[in-house]
Amino acid sequence: MVNKKKVFGKMEVSKNSFKTLSEPVKQFGGLVGIIILIFLTFFVLNNIFGEGDELVAKMKIEEERIAQERKLNKLISSLPSGVLVSFDGTDNFRLSDELYEAVCKATKLIPQRAIMGANFLNFRAHEIYTINGNKIDETFVKWDDEKNKCFAGFVVSGNNVGVDETIKVSGEALSFLSTGIDTRVYFIKNF
Amino acid sequence: MKKLIFFILFSSLITSLASARSTGCKEGNCDNGYGKWVYTDKTTYEGEWVATKKHGQGTETWPNGYIYKGQFKESQWNGIGILFFPDGSTYEGEWANGFMNGEGTFTWSDGKQKKGIWKNGSFQE
Repeated sequence: MVNKKKVFGKMEVSKNSFKTLSEPVKQFGGLVGIIILIFLTFFVLNNIFGEGDELVAKMKIEEERIAQERKLNKLISSLPSGVLVSFDGTDNFRLSDELYEAVCKATKLIPQRAIMGANFLNFRAHEIYTINGNKIDETFVKWDDEKNKCFAGFVVSGNNVGVDETIKVSGEALSFLSTGIDTRVYFIKNF
Repeated sequence: MKKLIFFILFSSLITSLASARSTGCKEGNCDNGYGKWVYTDKTTYEGEWVATKKHGQGTETWPNGYIYKGQFKESQWNGIGILFFPDGSTYEGEWANGFMNGEGTFTWSDGKQKKGIWKNGSFQE
Protein backbone atom coordinates (compact mmCIF):
# COMPACT_ATOMS: atom_id res chain seq x y z
CA MET A 1 0.00 0.00 0.00
CA VAL A 2 2.83 2.33 0.89
CA ASN A 3 4.73 1.34 -2.28
CA LYS A 4 1.68 2.02 -4.44
CA LYS A 5 1.39 5.46 -2.95
CA LYS A 6 5.09 6.07 -3.69
CA VAL A 7 4.69 5.03 -7.36
CA PHE A 8 1.60 7.13 -7.86
CA GLY A 9 3.40 9.98 -6.20
CA LYS A 10 6.34 9.71 -8.59
CA MET A 11 3.99 9.59 -11.59
CA GLU A 12 2.22 12.68 -10.33
CA VAL A 13 5.58 14.48 -10.05
CA SER A 14 6.64 13.56 -13.65
CA LYS A 15 3.16 14.56 -14.90
CA ASN A 16 3.57 17.93 -13.27
CA SER A 17 7.12 18.38 -14.60
CA PHE A 18 5.83 17.49 -18.15
CA LYS A 19 3.15 20.13 -17.76
CA THR A 20 5.78 22.69 -16.87
CA LEU A 21 7.64 22.09 -20.17
CA SER A 22 7.17 24.65 -22.93
CA GLU A 23 4.86 23.85 -25.89
CA PRO A 24 7.66 23.55 -28.60
CA VAL A 25 9.60 21.11 -26.41
CA LYS A 26 6.45 19.04 -25.90
CA GLN A 27 5.79 19.01 -29.67
CA PHE A 28 9.39 18.02 -30.41
CA GLY A 29 9.19 15.24 -27.85
CA GLY A 30 5.96 14.03 -29.45
CA LEU A 31 7.57 14.06 -32.88
CA VAL A 32 10.58 12.07 -31.65
CA GLY A 33 8.19 9.64 -29.97
CA ILE A 34 6.21 9.12 -33.17
CA ILE A 35 9.41 8.59 -35.18
CA ILE A 36 10.67 6.02 -32.68
CA LEU A 37 7.28 4.30 -32.78
CA ILE A 38 7.38 4.16 -36.60
CA PHE A 39 10.92 2.77 -36.57
CA LEU A 40 9.97 0.20 -33.96
CA THR A 41 6.87 -0.83 -35.95
CA PHE A 42 8.91 -1.31 -39.12
CA PHE A 43 11.61 -3.14 -37.17
CA VAL A 44 9.05 -5.56 -35.76
CA LEU A 45 7.31 -5.99 -39.16
CA ASN A 46 10.63 -6.53 -40.90
CA ASN A 47 11.57 -9.19 -38.38
CA ILE A 48 8.27 -10.95 -38.90
CA PHE A 49 7.81 -10.65 -42.68
CA GLY A 50 11.06 -9.28 -44.09
CA GLU A 51 13.87 -11.33 -45.62
CA GLY A 52 16.65 -8.86 -44.83
CA ASP A 53 19.98 -9.59 -46.51
CA GLU A 54 18.50 -12.47 -48.43
CA LEU A 55 16.01 -10.13 -50.11
CA VAL A 56 18.73 -7.61 -50.95
CA ALA A 57 20.82 -10.38 -52.51
CA LYS A 58 17.82 -11.58 -54.51
CA MET A 59 17.11 -8.06 -55.74
CA LYS A 60 20.73 -7.63 -56.80
CA ILE A 61 20.63 -10.89 -58.79
CA GLU A 62 17.37 -9.82 -60.44
CA GLU A 63 18.81 -6.41 -61.31
CA GLU A 64 21.88 -8.06 -62.84
CA ARG A 65 19.65 -10.44 -64.83
CA ILE A 66 17.58 -7.53 -66.19
CA ALA A 67 20.72 -5.60 -67.12
CA GLN A 68 22.15 -8.69 -68.88
CA GLU A 69 18.87 -9.26 -70.73
CA ARG A 70 18.80 -5.64 -71.90
CA LYS A 71 22.36 -5.97 -73.15
CA LEU A 72 21.50 -9.16 -75.04
CA ASN A 73 18.32 -7.64 -76.50
CA LYS A 74 20.35 -4.68 -77.75
CA LEU A 75 22.80 -7.07 -79.34
CA ILE A 76 20.05 -9.18 -80.95
CA SER A 77 18.41 -6.12 -82.49
CA SER A 78 21.78 -5.12 -83.97
CA LEU A 79 22.18 -8.47 -85.79
CA PRO A 80 21.08 -8.81 -89.41
CA SER A 81 17.78 -10.63 -89.93
CA GLY A 82 18.15 -14.11 -91.38
CA VAL A 83 20.29 -17.16 -90.79
CA LEU A 84 23.32 -16.79 -88.53
CA VAL A 85 25.91 -19.56 -88.62
CA SER A 86 28.89 -20.50 -86.52
CA PHE A 87 30.77 -22.26 -89.32
CA ASP A 88 32.34 -21.32 -92.65
CA GLY A 89 31.24 -22.34 -96.11
CA THR A 90 27.84 -20.66 -96.47
CA ASP A 91 26.59 -17.29 -97.65
CA ASN A 92 24.85 -16.73 -94.32
CA PHE A 93 26.02 -14.27 -91.69
CA ARG A 94 29.04 -15.77 -89.90
CA LEU A 95 28.99 -15.25 -86.14
CA SER A 96 32.22 -14.38 -84.39
CA ASP A 97 33.08 -16.48 -81.32
CA GLU A 98 31.92 -13.67 -79.06
CA LEU A 99 28.63 -13.21 -80.92
CA TYR A 100 28.07 -16.97 -81.05
CA GLU A 101 28.20 -17.13 -77.26
CA ALA A 102 25.96 -14.08 -76.85
CA VAL A 103 23.38 -15.36 -79.35
CA CYS A 104 23.41 -18.77 -77.67
CA LYS A 105 22.74 -17.21 -74.27
CA ALA A 106 19.93 -15.06 -75.68
CA THR A 107 18.19 -17.86 -77.59
CA LYS A 108 15.29 -19.75 -76.10
CA LEU A 109 13.24 -21.01 -79.03
CA ILE A 110 13.71 -24.13 -81.14
CA PRO A 111 11.40 -24.25 -84.18
CA GLN A 112 9.81 -27.41 -85.55
CA ARG A 113 12.16 -27.84 -88.53
CA ALA A 114 15.20 -27.87 -86.26
CA ILE A 115 13.54 -30.58 -84.16
CA MET A 116 12.59 -32.57 -87.26
CA GLY A 117 16.16 -32.27 -88.53
CA ALA A 118 17.62 -33.59 -85.28
CA ASN A 119 15.10 -36.42 -85.35
CA PHE A 120 16.58 -37.73 -88.64
CA LEU A 121 19.22 -39.42 -86.54
CA ASN A 122 16.94 -40.44 -83.71
CA PHE A 123 14.11 -42.53 -85.01
CA ARG A 124 12.66 -43.33 -81.57
CA ALA A 125 12.39 -39.61 -80.76
CA HIS A 126 10.77 -39.03 -84.15
CA GLU A 127 8.21 -41.76 -83.46
CA ILE A 128 7.23 -40.36 -80.05
CA TYR A 129 7.18 -36.84 -81.49
CA THR A 130 4.76 -37.77 -84.28
CA ILE A 131 2.62 -40.12 -82.17
CA ASN A 132 2.05 -37.32 -79.66
CA GLY A 133 1.07 -34.74 -82.26
CA ASN A 134 4.48 -33.03 -82.47
CA LYS A 135 4.41 -32.28 -78.75
CA ILE A 136 7.65 -31.36 -77.01
CA ASP A 137 7.98 -31.62 -73.24
CA GLU A 138 10.92 -29.31 -72.85
CA THR A 139 13.49 -27.46 -74.92
CA PHE A 140 16.83 -26.07 -73.78
CA VAL A 141 19.65 -23.94 -75.14
CA LYS A 142 22.78 -23.85 -72.99
CA TRP A 143 26.23 -22.41 -73.29
CA ASP A 144 28.96 -24.84 -72.18
CA ASP A 145 31.81 -22.85 -70.66
CA GLU A 146 34.20 -25.81 -70.64
CA LYS A 147 33.72 -26.78 -74.28
CA ASN A 148 33.06 -23.22 -75.47
CA LYS A 149 30.11 -24.50 -77.44
CA CYS A 150 26.38 -23.97 -77.58
CA PHE A 151 24.20 -26.99 -76.96
CA ALA A 152 20.50 -27.25 -77.67
CA GLY A 153 17.98 -30.00 -77.41
CA PHE A 154 14.55 -31.16 -76.49
CA VAL A 155 12.76 -33.86 -74.55
CA VAL A 156 9.93 -35.92 -75.98
CA SER A 157 7.89 -38.37 -74.00
CA GLY A 158 4.85 -40.49 -74.52
CA ASN A 159 3.46 -43.91 -74.99
CA ASN A 160 4.93 -45.83 -77.88
CA VAL A 161 3.34 -49.25 -78.51
CA GLY A 162 2.36 -49.64 -74.86
CA VAL A 163 5.66 -48.43 -73.45
CA ASP A 164 6.11 -45.06 -71.72
CA GLU A 165 9.29 -43.49 -73.03
CA THR A 166 11.19 -40.26 -72.46
CA ILE A 167 13.94 -39.37 -74.90
CA LYS A 168 16.30 -36.43 -74.71
CA VAL A 169 17.80 -35.30 -78.01
CA SER A 170 20.66 -32.85 -77.84
CA GLY A 171 23.51 -31.61 -79.96
CA GLU A 172 25.58 -28.64 -80.90
CA ALA A 173 23.53 -25.63 -81.97
CA LEU A 174 25.37 -24.49 -85.07
CA SER A 175 23.00 -22.05 -86.69
CA PHE A 176 20.32 -19.62 -85.60
CA LEU A 177 17.60 -17.54 -87.17
CA SER A 178 17.45 -13.88 -86.30
CA THR A 179 13.98 -12.40 -86.75
CA GLY A 180 14.96 -8.93 -85.58
CA ILE A 181 12.96 -9.47 -82.40
CA ASP A 182 14.40 -12.76 -81.17
CA THR A 183 16.72 -15.55 -82.22
CA ARG A 184 15.89 -19.24 -82.69
CA VAL A 185 18.02 -22.36 -82.95
CA TYR A 186 18.02 -23.40 -86.60
CA PHE A 187 20.32 -26.40 -86.73
CA ILE A 188 21.15 -28.92 -84.01
CA LYS A 189 24.03 -31.13 -85.02
CA ASN A 190 23.44 -34.38 -83.16
CA PHE A 191 25.74 -36.57 -85.25
CA MET B 1 -11.29 4.50 -82.04
CA LYS B 2 -13.39 3.19 -84.94
CA LYS B 3 -10.63 4.21 -87.33
CA LEU B 4 -8.08 2.28 -85.27
CA ILE B 5 -10.20 -0.90 -85.24
CA PHE B 6 -10.76 -0.55 -88.99
CA PHE B 7 -7.02 -0.08 -89.54
CA ILE B 8 -6.16 -3.19 -87.46
CA LEU B 9 -8.75 -5.34 -89.27
CA PHE B 10 -7.66 -4.02 -92.67
CA SER B 11 -3.97 -4.70 -91.87
CA SER B 12 -4.68 -8.26 -90.74
CA LEU B 13 -6.71 -8.86 -93.89
CA ILE B 14 -3.88 -7.61 -96.10
CA THR B 15 -1.31 -9.67 -94.15
CA SER B 16 -3.33 -12.88 -94.41
CA LEU B 17 -3.97 -12.26 -98.11
CA ALA B 18 -0.26 -11.68 -98.73
CA SER B 19 0.60 -14.81 -96.73
CA ALA B 20 -1.97 -16.87 -98.64
CA ARG B 21 -0.55 -15.63 -101.95
CA SER B 22 3.02 -16.59 -100.99
CA THR B 23 2.17 -20.17 -100.01
CA GLY B 24 0.66 -23.09 -101.87
CA CYS B 25 1.29 -24.15 -105.46
CA LYS B 26 3.41 -21.40 -106.96
CA GLU B 27 4.39 -22.93 -110.26
CA GLY B 28 3.20 -25.74 -112.50
CA ASN B 29 0.81 -28.50 -111.56
CA CYS B 30 0.84 -29.65 -107.93
CA ASP B 31 -1.92 -32.20 -108.45
CA ASN B 32 -0.58 -34.39 -111.21
CA GLY B 33 2.58 -33.33 -112.98
CA TYR B 34 5.49 -31.08 -112.16
CA GLY B 35 5.08 -28.18 -109.76
CA LYS B 36 6.51 -26.06 -106.97
CA TRP B 37 4.79 -25.87 -103.59
CA VAL B 38 5.73 -23.35 -100.90
CA TYR B 39 4.74 -24.12 -97.31
CA THR B 40 3.90 -21.49 -94.70
CA ASP B 41 7.29 -21.95 -92.98
CA LYS B 42 8.99 -21.32 -96.38
CA THR B 43 9.85 -24.97 -96.98
CA THR B 44 9.64 -25.59 -100.71
CA TYR B 45 9.15 -28.70 -102.80
CA GLU B 46 9.78 -28.67 -106.48
CA GLY B 47 9.21 -31.85 -108.39
CA GLU B 48 6.77 -34.45 -109.50
CA TRP B 49 3.25 -34.80 -108.10
CA VAL B 50 0.82 -37.70 -108.35
CA ALA B 51 -2.70 -37.36 -106.94
CA THR B 52 -1.69 -34.24 -104.94
CA LYS B 53 1.19 -36.13 -103.29
CA LYS B 54 4.92 -35.72 -103.78
CA HIS B 55 5.77 -38.71 -105.89
CA GLY B 56 8.75 -39.26 -108.20
CA GLN B 57 11.81 -37.04 -108.46
CA GLY B 58 11.92 -33.83 -106.50
CA THR B 59 13.81 -31.41 -104.29
CA GLU B 60 12.66 -30.36 -100.85
CA THR B 61 14.36 -27.35 -99.29
CA TRP B 62 13.85 -26.51 -95.65
CA PRO B 63 14.30 -22.92 -94.45
CA ASN B 64 16.96 -24.00 -91.95
CA GLY B 65 19.22 -25.40 -94.65
CA TYR B 66 18.33 -29.07 -95.08
CA ILE B 67 17.98 -29.97 -98.75
CA TYR B 68 16.79 -33.36 -99.98
CA LYS B 69 17.19 -34.21 -103.64
CA GLY B 70 15.88 -37.53 -104.81
CA GLN B 71 12.96 -39.84 -104.98
CA PHE B 72 9.66 -39.39 -103.18
CA LYS B 73 6.86 -41.84 -102.61
CA GLU B 74 3.51 -40.84 -101.11
CA SER B 75 5.06 -37.50 -100.02
CA GLN B 76 7.88 -39.22 -98.11
CA TRP B 77 11.58 -39.47 -98.90
CA ASN B 78 11.70 -42.91 -100.42
CA GLY B 79 14.15 -44.47 -102.87
CA ILE B 80 17.51 -43.04 -103.82
CA GLY B 81 18.29 -39.56 -102.58
CA ILE B 82 20.82 -37.20 -101.12
CA LEU B 83 20.30 -35.08 -98.03
CA PHE B 84 22.43 -31.99 -97.50
CA PHE B 85 22.69 -30.93 -93.85
CA PRO B 86 23.01 -27.19 -93.07
CA ASP B 87 26.68 -27.55 -92.05
CA GLY B 88 27.67 -29.24 -95.32
CA SER B 89 27.42 -32.86 -94.18
CA THR B 90 25.60 -35.18 -96.58
CA TYR B 91 23.95 -38.57 -96.73
CA GLU B 92 23.71 -40.18 -100.12
CA GLY B 93 21.95 -43.47 -100.54
CA GLU B 94 18.74 -45.29 -99.95
CA TRP B 95 15.74 -43.88 -98.10
CA ALA B 96 12.51 -45.40 -96.81
CA ASN B 97 9.65 -43.70 -94.98
CA GLY B 98 11.60 -40.46 -94.65
CA PHE B 99 14.64 -42.05 -93.02
CA MET B 100 18.04 -43.35 -94.06
CA ASN B 101 17.21 -46.97 -94.72
CA GLY B 102 19.42 -49.26 -96.78
CA GLU B 103 22.81 -48.70 -98.29
CA GLY B 104 24.28 -45.24 -98.02
CA THR B 105 27.23 -43.01 -97.29
CA PHE B 106 27.28 -40.33 -94.64
CA THR B 107 29.93 -37.67 -95.20
CA TRP B 108 30.71 -35.19 -92.43
CA SER B 109 31.56 -31.61 -93.31
CA ASP B 110 35.24 -32.34 -92.53
CA GLY B 111 35.33 -35.13 -95.11
CA LYS B 112 35.08 -38.08 -92.74
CA GLN B 113 32.87 -40.84 -94.14
CA LYS B 114 30.73 -43.70 -92.92
CA LYS B 115 29.58 -46.16 -95.56
CA GLY B 116 27.30 -49.12 -95.03
CA ILE B 117 23.83 -50.19 -94.12
CA TRP B 118 21.48 -47.78 -92.33
CA LYS B 119 18.27 -48.55 -90.53
CA ASN B 120 15.86 -45.77 -89.53
CA GLY B 121 18.64 -43.20 -89.46
CA SER B 122 21.09 -45.34 -87.49
CA PHE B 123 24.24 -46.91 -88.85
CA GLN B 124 24.28 -50.70 -88.54
CA GLU B 125 27.68 -51.76 -87.24
